[in-house]
Amino acid sequence: MNNTSQFHPDETMLLEFSAGTLATAPSICVSAHLHFCSKCRNQLLRLDQVGAQLMSEAKPLELEEDAFDAVMANLDNTEQAPAKSDAKVSRFPFSVDKLMKNNLVSQTWKRLSGSVDVARFETGQDEFEVALHKICAGGKTPKHDHQGLEYTVVLKGSFSDENAVYREGDFLIREPGDVHQPMGAQNGECICLSALSAPIKLTNPLGFLMKPWLRINPM
Amino acid sequence: MSLVTSIPKNQAIPRTNGDRVAVFKSAEKRSDQWSQLLISVGENRDRQAFAQLFRHFGPLLKGFAHASRNEGWFPGLGDDLVQEVMIKVWNKAAGYNAEKASATTWIYTVARNCRIDMLRRKSNTQHLPLENEDFWHEPDEETPISLLQQKRSEDKVQSSLAQLPKEQDEILRKVYLEGKSHAEASAELGLPLGTVKSRVRLALQKMQVIVSTESQE
Repeated sequence: MNNTSQFHPDETMLLEFSAGTLATAPSICVSAHLHFCSKCRNQLLRLDQVGAQLMSEAKPLELEEDAFDAVMANLDNTEQAPAKSDAKVSRFPFSVDKLMKNNLVSQTWKRLSGSVDVARFETGQDEFEVALHKICAGGKTPKHDHQGLEYTVVLKGSFSDENAVYREGDFLIREPGDVHQPMGAQNGECICLSALSAPIKLTNPLGFLMKPWLRINPM
Repeated sequence: MSLVTSIPKNQAIPRTNGDRVAVFKSAEKRSDQWSQLLISVGENRDRQAFAQLFRHFGPLLKGFAHASRNEGWFPGLGDDLVQEVMIKVWNKAAGYNAEKASATTWIYTVARNCRIDMLRRKSNTQHLPLENEDFWHEPDEETPISLLQQKRSEDKVQSSLAQLPKEQDEILRKVYLEGKSHAEASAELGLPLGTVKSRVRLALQKMQVIVSTESQE
């Protein structure tokens, strides 16, 4: 909710999000970032204004004769007290909350290693694997490589790698060839949302022993 | 809210020195016709106001649906979209916050989400646990952009859109109206992805949607 994010999606991603052309998995990650980042929410509003202006300049098309009556008839059936926005204050973004409920996350955490648990989400697409990762306080993950794109958003706590410390709301992209070794912060567990376009390649020589989706080397 | 309504209209609006601007919200109102009508639908279940919105936005929504070049497109999409969006407008109008966006922008976001979800339902056999709308639940907050600033940026977008070079305008339309990703636009236009991105960036800079200090690719 705050505005402390240091790492943001780039303007191309935000624009595709605004235009609705961004794929589902990266959209989940962008929406998670927006939950935390008012700077990007403002940017998005301006991008939406562009879309709105384009829509209002688009060629209007004549409606079917009964279109208006059909809608009015439907209103009669749906006449009710307007739903007040009762959005509960959740620490997690709405889309992630919904995925967690849908996937019963509390029951599907799986141990990946001494310090990392994972819960995978069913998201109705198979371009990306979307999951939550929980790194325990001070937990080290093994050094790993990326074969595909990986988007990560920190939802709770923080972690660090060779380059920086990543805090709540931070949005990261790892590209093929990036090697890193994330480490959970000492002061508490860290939960991240990630979308991965292809399995990670472990740089550890024992990596071949692992199932293709098992991304982090048990230590 | 009512505490500050007595402030004369022409009184200077106090501001803080920080990047957040302190504004007496009720001293400035969104005055465009469509936003007033939408507020009235939300507050009073005003059918007359709704009918006016329908007459204005219905044909635009149908045009917006027909502009789509996405997988899943079908001939009845336009009429279906008008129905679905206008019913959502009626049902959700009470949640419309005029301080956050104009009615046109708000209805655009409803239409965009609806269009994506309708196309996905047509072209996808997998169960989809999320609807596009789910990506757009923003936390309630003090609006950090004042209405005055928003109005300025809306005006700027409107006036500069008409003056964009054809090649920039073309790509923006492909992305927003046809629903093409940058990669798809680049393939269709036979242009490198970098060129598509830089044309979009130039257009956004001209409209002052993004600041121009960003480094170029």
